[in-house]
Amino acid sequence: MVSSLTEEEQIALQHKMRQCMQKVAQHRDKEAFGVLFDHFAPLLRSFSLAREPGASLMADELTQVVLLKVWEKAHTYNSDKASVSTWIYTLARNSRIDLLRRSGRYTTEIDPEYLWQETEDESTDPFLDVQQKRAEKSIADAFEHLSIDQRQVLTKVYLEGKTHQESAEELALPLGTIKSRIRLALKKLQILVRNQPC
Amino acid sequence: MLIHHHPTDELLSAYCAGSLPLSQALCLSAHIEMCKTCQTNSQRLSQLGAYIFNHTKPATVNNDLKEKIFSQLDQRPYHLKTTERKSMAAGHASAEVPKCLKQFVASNYDELNWHRVSFAIRQANICTGGNGAQVSLMRIKAGGKAGLHTHMGNEFTTVLKGAFSDESGLFQQGDFVVRDSQHKHRPAATKDSECICLTVLEAPIQFTGYFTRWLNPLLRRGYPSA
Ligand SMILES: [Zn+2]
Repeated sequence: MVSSLTEEEQIALQHKMRQCMQKVAQHRDKEAFGVLFDHFAPLLRSFSLAREPGASLMADELTQVVLLKVWEKAHTYNSDKASVSTWIYTLARNSRIDLLRRSGRYTTEIDPEYLWQETEDESTDPFLDVQQKRAEKSIADAFEHLSIDQRQVLTKVYLEGKTHQESAEELALPLGTIKSRIRLALKKLQILVRNQPC
Repeated sequence: MLIHHHPTDELLSAYCAGSLPLSQALCLSAHIEMCKTCQTNSQRLSQLGAYIFNHTKPATVNNDLKEKIFSQLDQRPYHLKTTERKSMAAGHASAEVPKCLKQFVASNYDELNWHRVSFAIRQANICTGGNGAQVSLMRIKAGGKAGLHTHMGNEFTTVLKGAFSDESGLFQQGDFVVRDSQHKHRPAATKDSECICLTVLEAPIQFTGYFTRWLNPLLRRGYPSA
């Protein structure tokens, strides 16, 4: 993990990315797209390589798929709901699953395009933006204080895309230990809510 | 809608990490569409994913890749941000089918190929997961009971319509529950309405011996007739 930016720098960066998204959405601004490219392309390649080490072509393909989606779908990005990073992370996650499926890694008829759908929630919650930023801060403050073991498991699951079972095998730990480490880590991050009325 | 049974935190985080088998992800997806709490939590757990993603060591990017991507920009479909939001024109008849199931159920559950499991139960297999999991819809008549049964693998269930109860409680529309292979249960639909559930039965642990290979097709059966 690299975390070289201070909190202020992080906020400034987020702000810059949001502006770039706006320019792409409203004016098809290639220069702004270039800024997004330079920031996210190395992360996207890294995200793909974490799942499939050595698969350089797949990493390029994932990067291309995601960034072209950013270009085409910039108008659907809602800054109240998610930071640019979160939005791009979800695109990357979905695209990685889709690429793995196309390459025959999952033999199933289930089309991931129908899962992880944005719930078109028309109710514009005025606090959405505030809540989202609060959670972001909570994660940034608490993540580095998680134990190395907890961070290791979260990295396996999120970055390497490993199931709990695969993580257990690779770390030579019981399945129950993997689950409890994740559970405790999430508790420490304090980001989850309980029983919101529908 | 009152939802009492949710996926565990670690299961929901696996969903948000995209590391769950697609069959299980489908079952969670159906729950999340109906559950405000899990919608919020999915958003938070994706923010966690974004944090981890953001803090990975960046990989090198070849200049060719940048050129290749930029050369395609002008040919891509053109969307400009508009202020009006497109209204999601979903037909009324299809309102009860969750979006994630639209790939298998175009408009309503009656169109599926239901086969009788017992007097009270019908089942429609909708697909298989890559890991040998069986994804089906179960339909229990109002007041109908299933036979006492266990399964070889874990079973994920999301209640799509109506409610059922068993030894461990009442499960209503939107509720999500996982049963492990040790769990013996005998679900029954409540008397007021039929109950439709999405179930994902994990493939059983494969026994590899000569004798058990012969036994396997028998062991695989999830629901014996009542
Ligand atoms: Zn829930």
